[in-house]
Amino acid sequence: MSVETFVTDKAGLHKFYEAVMASRETYAPVEKFGKFDFKRVTRLTECDPESPIATTQSIKPLFFPRSAKVMKYLATSAGTEVSEVDEDPLAVKRVILGAKHCDARSLQVLDKVYNWDYIDTDYQKRRENTVIISTRCDQAGTHCFCTSLDYDVENLDAMDVVIVNGADGKIYIKARTPKGENFLTELNTEYRILNIESQMSEEDKYGEMKKQYESFTGSFRLKMDYKEVNAKLSKIFDTPEFENVSGNCVSCNTCAFVCPTCHCFKISDEKVKDTGVRYKSYDSCNNGYFTLMAGGHNPRPVKYRRWRQRAMHKFVYYKERFGENLCVGCGKCTIACPVNISIFEVVNQVSSAAMQE
Amino acid sequence: MLCKVDKVIQETPDIRTYRLKFREEGMMEKFTYLPGQFVEFSLLGSGECTFCIASSATRLGYFDCSIKKAGVVTADMHLSLEEGDEVGIRGPFGNWFPLEELKGKNLLFIGGGIGLAPLRSLIQYCIDNRNDYKDFTILYGARTSDGMCYKDEIREWQDNKSLKVVLTIDQPEETWTTNVGVVPKILEEVVMPVIENTKVITCGPPIMIKYTIQSLVKLGFADKDIITTLEMKMQCGLGKCGRCNIGSTYVCKDGPVFTNEQLKSLPDEF
Repeated sequence: MSVETFVTDKAGLHKFYEAVMASRETYAPVEKFGKFDFKRVTRLTECDPESPIATTQSIKPLFFPRSAKVMKYLATSAGTEVSEVDEDPLAVKRVILGAKHCDARSLQVLDKVYNWDYIDTDYQKRRENTVIISTRCDQAGTHCFCTSLDYDVENLDAMDVVIVNGADGKIYIKARTPKGENFLTELNTEYRILNIESQMSEEDKYGEMKKQYESFTGSFRLKMDYKEVNAKLSKIFDTPEFENVSGNCVSCNTCAFVCPTCHCFKISDEKVKDTGVRYKSYDSCNNGYFTLMAGGHNPRPVKYRRWRQRAMHKFVYYKERFGENLCVGCGKCTIACPVNISIFEVVNQVSSAAMQE
Repeated sequence: MLCKVDKVIQETPDIRTYRLKFREEGMMEKFTYLPGQFVEFSLLGSGECTFCIASSATRLGYFDCSIKKAGVVTADMHLSLEEGDEVGIRGPFGNWFPLEELKGKNLLFIGGGIGLAPLRSLIQYCIDNRNDYKDFTILYGARTSDGMCYKDEIREWQDNKSLKVVLTIDQPEETWTTNVGVVPKILEEVVMPVIENTKVITCGPPIMIKYTIQSLVKLGFADKDIITTLEMKMQCGLGKCGRCNIGSTYVCKDGPVFTNEQLKSLPDEF
């Protein structure tokens, strides 16, 4: 049986948050120097699930850590012993509060690459054990363009439980996935005392949520025609425009670091005397050495080729391979970029230059 | 999986073949691979590298990786990895040469330098199933006679009357009595291959592959009959880390073996 949409006010929402935090290990945006990032929290006063701006980094590190141990080994003259790493601290049952829709959505995109062919079981376990509960944005940020991409932003299944600030001033809390349903069913229901709308039908509640969606989509500064951009990019591998858009890049890789969908990694060993650890850490196609082969051959020795890979992988290749766009339009990379390169501008500028050629 | 280095063969001043056996008993039988596939080879402490398997599963009990000194890990291997040492192996990964399609065909192998390693796996496989194939030609070139791999095995191939072996080096040397010249030139002037019913399998340095394919196309070979194996920076081998992407292709999963027809459909990055 599905859990009824819970309609409440600010006080009820806070009660709900508290009930959630009491039930499981919780991660939520925590403010520091005016910026927000996801941290482990135990009380509502420590964090802001309704953070006015998106977190600097996405929820990616909670599923794909910046640097994770893959294995340990002991290599002596008597022989080599390889051992598994300790239990995965991220695979506990937990809740993430306050992940914006783009963040939650990025996991649906990443599921594709992690679940094809070889299954990344660590990722999968973390994913299964995590319930995402968040409020849909009311207002687009300066660099947001999620609604321009090719998925139904109205479909909120990326979040297990969604909270919507209705146009009528009421707050709607609804489970969107079976995982969210189960979570709400098991949750202590004391918070439901603050139900302010016991008569309203599910359809009417949905109607109110939809109205909020319409005002939200009207608030975007950035808009593009995704299909057109995708189609053009897929035809213009050799355009010199990539040199123009990448000229300022300092190859710092910050964009990949904050990107919720960038998933390239490198494998490295650290060994002291006889014992060693193998790590899997973030890497980026913007790194000059990313494709540098032993012997010196490098197919992408210059910036524009690396930027071309970045833009094309996001807007063409991944779509071709996995049916999803590898950019969720969150704008995190643009905000973090020290030289103001915007992926939105890059793909638009390159594809419109292609039109003129 | 841990392997013990059974034997080290110094092929050339900078190429060594490591003959590996699994430490765990019975593992070798479970390690089933086909010519063209590769493994991730760990020198614990230095790192992991991608190498093709240079031998055929038809030769039982071991497998070979031929490693040229080129980067950090390979330099460490040449410096310190000796018989009796242990290494980590993950694999086998990737696709393999289209064995079924090769049956009943004339085979022309064209290798350059260390590029003979992946071909050697297929050559051994085909020699061990010699009756399945028609004419069998191996063209192998290296910069110098010193730079040729598998010298003893090449002698065996030369002694095998059912194979035609053509060797060449780039520059004349005093003791060298056979062909001199780059591979595409020898291909056109000396080998003069039959085009009908022939499959060409080539691997070598990128520049050699490029000009060899040009020559083959000029001679009249169809793109689908030219098969090569790509070298690309890889790390995970599992279609995850993103390093080996060419367009939407994962070289580690969809390759490394491609026909020229397939290569032409990829973005021209290389």
